[in-house]
Amino acid sequence: MTAFFIWARRFAAYRALTELLARSPGARLFATALLPVAWILLANLAPLVQMLVISFYESYPLAEGTSAELTLRHYMAFIERPLYLSAFARSFIFATIVTALTLVVMFPVAYYIAKGAPRQRRVRLLLLVISPFWISEIIRSFAWMLMLSNRGAVNSFLSFIGYSGPPLDLLYNNVSLTIGVLYLTSLYMLLPLYSALEKIDDNLLEAAADLGATAPRRFMRIILPLARDGIVTGCTLTFLLIVGLYAMPLLLGGPSNTLFATIIGQVFGRAGDSWPLGSAFSIILIVAALAYVGIFMTIVQKRPRRQG
Amino acid sequence: MIKLIGRIALPTYFWIFVAWLFLPLAVMAAMGFRDSNFVAFPIQSWTTDWYRSVLTDREMSASLWVSLQVALISTAMGLVIGTPMAFMVARFTGAIRALLIAVIVLPAFIPIVVASISLRMFIGNFGFSTGIMAVAFGHAVSSVPFVVVMLLTRLNSMSTNLTDAARDLGADDFIVFFRIVLPYLAPALFGAFMFCMLLSFEDFTRSFFLGSFDPTFPVLLFAKLRFGFDPGLAAISTLVLIVTIALGLYAERFSRRRKLGNQGQVTAIGDNGNG
Repeated sequence: MTAFFIWARRFAAYRALTELLARSPGARLFATALLPVAWILLANLAPLVQMLVISFYESYPLAEGTSAELTLRHYMAFIERPLYLSAFARSFIFATIVTALTLVVMFPVAYYIAKGAPRQRRVRLLLLVISPFWISEIIRSFAWMLMLSNRGAVNSFLSFIGYSGPPLDLLYNNVSLTIGVLYLTSLYMLLPLYSALEKIDDNLLEAAADLGATAPRRFMRIILPLARDGIVTGCTLTFLLIVGLYAMPLLLGGPSNTLFATIIGQVFGRAGDSWPLGSAFSIILIVAALAYVGIFMTIVQKRPRRQG
Repeated sequence: MIKLIGRIALPTYFWIFVAWLFLPLAVMAAMGFRDSNFVAFPIQSWTTDWYRSVLTDREMSASLWVSLQVALISTAMGLVIGTPMAFMVARFTGAIRALLIAVIVLPAFIPIVVASISLRMFIGNFGFSTGIMAVAFGHAVSSVPFVVVMLLTRLNSMSTNLTDAARDLGADDFIVFFRIVLPYLAPALFGAFMFCMLLSFEDFTRSFFLGSFDPTFPVLLFAKLRFGFDPGLAAISTLVLIVTIALGLYAERFSRRRKLGNQGQVTAIGDNGNG
């Protein structure tokens, strides 16, 4: 490969380019930054800005030769129609509950891998737990549909152990959705928790124990404060993931408990002026979700450590 | 008493959790062997027909091919954009660096539905329509942040001695880049490659909103599941699952072997979702 670049030196343009790069740090920065900056502007920022703008349009796409009329109508629709507002509230309540549940379920798992298991087995245990998360959300939903459906694994197990009533309605409700979402989010909680817990110095725990701190006290005073960053990151990721879920509520949830993200998706599926409406809803979701997470972070992180 | 809890309760809880993770997948794999057109338990007669027939199913293999194309294109895009982006970030320190990273990882914090739809409206400006390229673009947008973070970790550990020495010996910037920097980054690049592939292959939401008439595998599966399911779907899902997990484990093993002395660290190969 070196030969190619040495051959290229025959050409004046190549020589000029390499000399410019060697002489001027600014030119080198420009050469590396050109593509990334364009990408950040076009792929990360512009679509959101456009969405914000469209949310104020009366209709979109614009008809030929007309200019946009601005309106707050689509934001008003959110407040006025209970259908939307209740789905929004349901989304946030559901996401909060399931995030808390994920934290409670995953904390012992992360703690066992980071502190309980022998050091040389940690990586293997972690891989064991991570591997199902490489699989698609849809396949994992499907697996739970097979578990919970009327003639699924759970019901047939129940009748095997002697339950003789009609099959339980386990699928298409909040319980099945919660189980499925927990299955989806646990990794987002596990990895931050694990990396925070793994950093805790065992000597601290031993010293505390030697000085007479009981296990609950060690947990409250040492483990929990030191794991705080992991908890905050895990909860943030999990919450944002749940709030944006589209497919799993459709597959595992019931028809009566539609979540807000699903409504946004459906609004865009319709024709006509629903693009501005969907954009307004999207902006509401982003702003509300980030604000919610931001408030959570400030509350958790600002709490002063008690002395003594 | 406390010690007893630590010795017994914690491991027991852990293994129950593992069972909870794998039981549904095992059930799905078993369902693929059921000798009937309907999904139900218990399985009384077994057959391998479903597993054999899905391998020749046109619709399924077409969707897998679409998924593979999308994964390759989006991974290439993600690496081509993410690599210089990591270099760019590495040039800065302090507030500018923090700001840059914040803007770069922004897509990871936008709810997926919203991110996909905003991209769909955006590409419309340029006359791009939905389809394989649009899906690949959507996946690349979500994978670039991960590429940058993974490469930055490696770049931070690189000393400038090697590149300085090469320059002193007369290498120009291109030679330095291709002969020194890229080989040094190779393990991280491979990790990022596998991560992007898995991320793209398992994505549903972006593929659903940015795709058109040729569905990726998750989109096709979703469409079928909404109208009921048969053991054939369980069979194909199981096969995809096995390949995915095998690739993931291979990538993990590979990148861990290259990082000797970093025992106990698992690279961030995780899952989609908000990526």
